[in-house]
Amino acid sequence: MKTITFNQKKTSAIALEFDELRPDDIYTWEKADFDNYGVPIGNSRFPLTDYFDIEIEGEAESPDDVKMILNGDMGRVKYIGCKMSGGEIICNGDADIHVGAEMTGGKIFVNGNVETFAGREMAGGYLEISGNTKEFCGASYMGEWRGMTGGEILVRGNAGKQCGECLSGGKITVLGNCDILAGIHMAKGLIEIHGDVNRWPGGQMKNGNIVVHGKLGRLLEGFVLDEVVTNPEIDGKSFEGKFIKYTGDIGLNGKGSLYLDAIANRDKLGEYGEHDDEYTSIREYRNL
Amino acid sequence: MAYEAPITDYDHIVENCTCAFCGCNCDDLDYLVKDGHVVAVRHACRLGASKIMEDLDQRLLVPMVRDDDGELKEVDWDTALDKAAEYIANSIRPIFYGWSETSIECMKEGVALGEYIGAVLDNQATICHGPSLLAVQNAGYPVQTLGEVQSRADMCVFSGSNPMNSHPRHLARYSVFCRGYFRTRGRFDRTVVTMDPKFTDTAKVSDLWVGFEQNGDYGFYNAIRAVLKGKELYQDVISGIPREDIYELAEAMKNAEFGTLFFGLGLTHTLSKQRSIDIAIKMIIDLNKFTKWGLTPMRGHFNVNGFNIFMAFESGFPLGVDYCRGYPRFLSGETNTIDLLTRGECDVFMVVAADPGAHYPNGAVQHLAKIPVIQVDIHWGPSTEIADVVLPGSFIGVECGGTSYRMDGVPIYMKKAIDKPETCRDDEWIIRELKERVMKLREEPNVAPKYVPNPAAL
Repeated sequence: MKTITFNQKKTSAIALEFDELRPDDIYTWEKADFDNYGVPIGNSRFPLTDYFDIEIEGEAESPDDVKMILNGDMGRVKYIGCKMSGGEIICNGDADIHVGAEMTGGKIFVNGNVETFAGREMAGGYLEISGNTKEFCGASYMGEWRGMTGGEILVRGNAGKQCGECLSGGKITVLGNCDILAGIHMAKGLIEIHGDVNRWPGGQMKNGNIVVHGKLGRLLEGFVLDEVVTNPEIDGKSFEGKFIKYTGDIGLNGKGSLYLDAIANRDKLGEYGEHDDEYTSIREYRNL
Repeated sequence: MAYEAPITDYDHIVENCTCAFCGCNCDDLDYLVKDGHVVAVRHACRLGASKIMEDLDQRLLVPMVRDDDGELKEVDWDTALDKAAEYIANSIRPIFYGWSETSIECMKEGVALGEYIGAVLDNQATICHGPSLLAVQNAGYPVQTLGEVQSRADMCVFSGSNPMNSHPRHLARYSVFCRGYFRTRGRFDRTVVTMDPKFTDTAKVSDLWVGFEQNGDYGFYNAIRAVLKGKELYQDVISGIPREDIYELAEAMKNAEFGTLFFGLGLTHTLSKQRSIDIAIKMIIDLNKFTKWGLTPMRGHFNVNGFNIFMAFESGFPLGVDYCRGYPRFLSGETNTIDLLTRGECDVFMVVAADPGAHYPNGAVQHLAKIPVIQVDIHWGPSTEIADVVLPGSFIGVECGGTSYRMDGVPIYMKKAIDKPETCRDDEWIIRELKERVMKLREEPNVAPKYVPNPAAL
């Protein structure tokens, strides 16, 4: 195992771009390579060693043998672990945008908050964020229809708008709250939100599953109440408790499933029971 | 309103000029010229006429450079251009912003300079119709020309837009009151619907006002899409609109012969941003299964659409194009001007025919006050107060010719009507001069190729 430690010496107002410092690129690098490397900052390159002290221990024969440790405030370091296929990155501080974007393997742990587009178009591997992340976590690039296609993202804090936009595979777990339009345009995969959701999860979703354990602010009209299920098994994972299951988005003839915790969202049932006798059983749940 | 006597004291009339105010680009204006100045404008709306008739009190006439005491001092053109070129040549993260009130010919020089130096090129769409452009990338662009609307449309929907105030001639010339080939009775042949939380002036002249609640547009369009798919609505009220009204509206939209949706910032800047436009486009696509429908964004500045079309042609991206790595990149939230300014990343800012000092958020303007700002413009404004170099340009469509793109993407050549002040220069000339001076100072772009640890192994 080769451990490469980046100890921050100073920060930059203009963001550094780390897209050329993946485990895939640097597993063969020696100290001299880091000394000679110019990191892109704006339209120029500056010596990496102006910003970081680099410590290298051990040897690596492949990217999988690399462990990158980033110590300091990486709030102005973009593309950490972007397109990586193996190895491990531990970021001890906040990170800028595109963390783990398009990664196909390996693991990234961020011990802090992350800016937008964390895990964008991720195809494999594991990304864990101990704090909050902003908009477009696990989403697609602007104009692209396929977001994350594989791998797993765990956000221990809150996630911003459009988390899991165009999700086409993989799993996103948010232990905190989520802003609007989580899972918009999603086609496959699973989004599990333990906290509350602002409004409109699953807008124009074609397929896939969204599970909300907290309270949902507002549901889109494109979701039709399906049934109340107990201890459902979704994407091979068992969920304990009662859930209201919706199917949508019917505006798109979508077949996605949205599961809302029945107790936290019992007010939603009141909007339906009056219209159709087939939901008799649902009326019982209104008094949960 | 007091009666204003027609202007009769003029030397000659320049006919068929193009208005340089809003995205309508009305090209039927007549300028009444006396002593080399436009003294009156025929056919224009009040907004366009007031802009075209010169206001020399605020006109920038001489190049200026801010001295060590913080005062703007008048200098000659060489001094000002050299100073501006020095700022740009030494910059690491320059932004060239604006471009929406200048010509395509000037943009061409700007893109060449930006590509050479590795700058971010952005325009006012970043604070207006940027979400529309993002949605168009995703969902397509079922656009029609304003001429088609004039001739064919029997149902006009204005969503989040108030053209009675922002584009005063739009209704009269293109969409509502005008007579068209198939709409010979004008307004009587058209159904006008306004979708807006406010009862706007446009709503007052409409047949139907759909006053959905604020930020309710996504849910509202979602419900219309569901109805168009033949689904039943379960909620009694959706986004503040009773479901019976949604059924009725969807039926009316399906039964139109030719429908058109004009949308403005009321739709682009609600909670769901580009996804509001995305779903509106999808709704138009759904409607086209029944009848002919199209949509057009109500663009503000007369050439804001031109920059987006031109940049998409040049780089593949419509706005916020970042050349810092030697090739174009774009991502909303990363390479847009306001994001870069509020993050404090920009180190030199050139504003061409725009006024970010007046329109930008406080945090962005605060950063602008800290960094060198180069202004190329014709009028004194808040941006001049924070500018370090001021380069007076000329008025496209009045003092010099140039190409612009109307809101529906139709290119229009704007002809020259009068001579510009002797001390001013064309925008195109200014940017070309800057480019040549920057190229002398910085002989090649500073972007190095990707680092290879052991070249011998290749």
